[in-house]
Amino acid sequence: MAASVALQLGFPVTATATPVTFADGVREHQDEVYGVALRITGDRDAALDVASSTFLKAYRAFDRYDQVRPLRHWFLRIATNEAISYVRKRGRELRRTVDVEEAAALPDWKGAPDTESVAREDRERIRAAVSLLPELYRVVIVLRYFNELSVDEIAHITRRPASTVGVQLLRGRALLRSTLEGER
Amino acid sequence: MSSARQNDDLFDEARLRRALRLEAAELPPRIDLAAIAARARAERPVFAAASFASTFFAGVAAAGLLGLIATALSTVVPALASDLFAAGIQTLAGVAVPVAALVALAAQPTVPIAMIAALAVAIAYEYAQRRERVVELTS
Repeated sequence: MAASVALQLGFPVTATATPVTFADGVREHQDEVYGVALRITGDRDAALDVASSTFLKAYRAFDRYDQVRPLRHWFLRIATNEAISYVRKRGRELRRTVDVEEAAALPDWKGAPDTESVAREDRERIRAAVSLLPELYRVVIVLRYFNELSVDEIAHITRRPASTVGVQLLRGRALLRSTLEGER
Repeated sequence: MSSARQNDDLFDEARLRRALRLEAAELPPRIDLAAIAARARAERPVFAAASFASTFFAGVAAAGLLGLIATALSTVVPALASDLFAAGIQTLAGVAVPVAALVALAAQPTVPIAMIAALAVAIAYEYAQRRERVVELTS
């Protein structure tokens, strides 16, 4: 109880006219944090763990957080790092290969046009291909096409030069194309 | 033209966006903020203890390393100094042998060093005198 009161009363999170509490920030961004974790790890349980640990770390470090900067970017930076650590620790890369092989074994979607199941299969196939991408490209692809961040924002979050992010996005898309065309 | 060709090699952005979008069935359960706060509070002593322990062990390790270096130096330095001293003596002996021969040669009474020196002084004197005479004649 005391904790929730502290969460709601303290911690103004932006320098804008309407200060938001940490709790409001979490409520606003939790789906996005979970989503980025899900798309990077490719696993729902892992994504939940990553989201929890992201908010736990953010809560602990909130007094050191530069409140002039957007809270969203701060959450996404922590979540991205947590997801990468999780993937490395659990050796998800090997399992992902199996997932993609399974995705590749799905029936040819061209045979049954305009059905919901085909669209779902197509989405699964693309997600599997994204999760097969090397971590370097996967992170920027997810931040760009899931979180809809600009190249500069991704550069800020990943602490990579913007030009590097641009090149990694292009290479990531090229890899995705070749992977998905190779399946057909 | 080239950018269009490059774009042909890339995966379609709109399709990628659609595929990565979270579906309703994928939405996570609400994050329990009170639980996070409680967990942070509960883990704080452990966190502090772990931080203290890590600092302590790092200090002990640094002290151990310094002690090891000091011990190694105290063992190595005398041997090293002895080696350096021996090398110095050997160099000195190597230089002293030819120098001693030269000194002995100079000390030999059969070598007319004084006569050579006297000759050199005389030549220099004569040269100076001749120059003075020339100066007198021209003035």
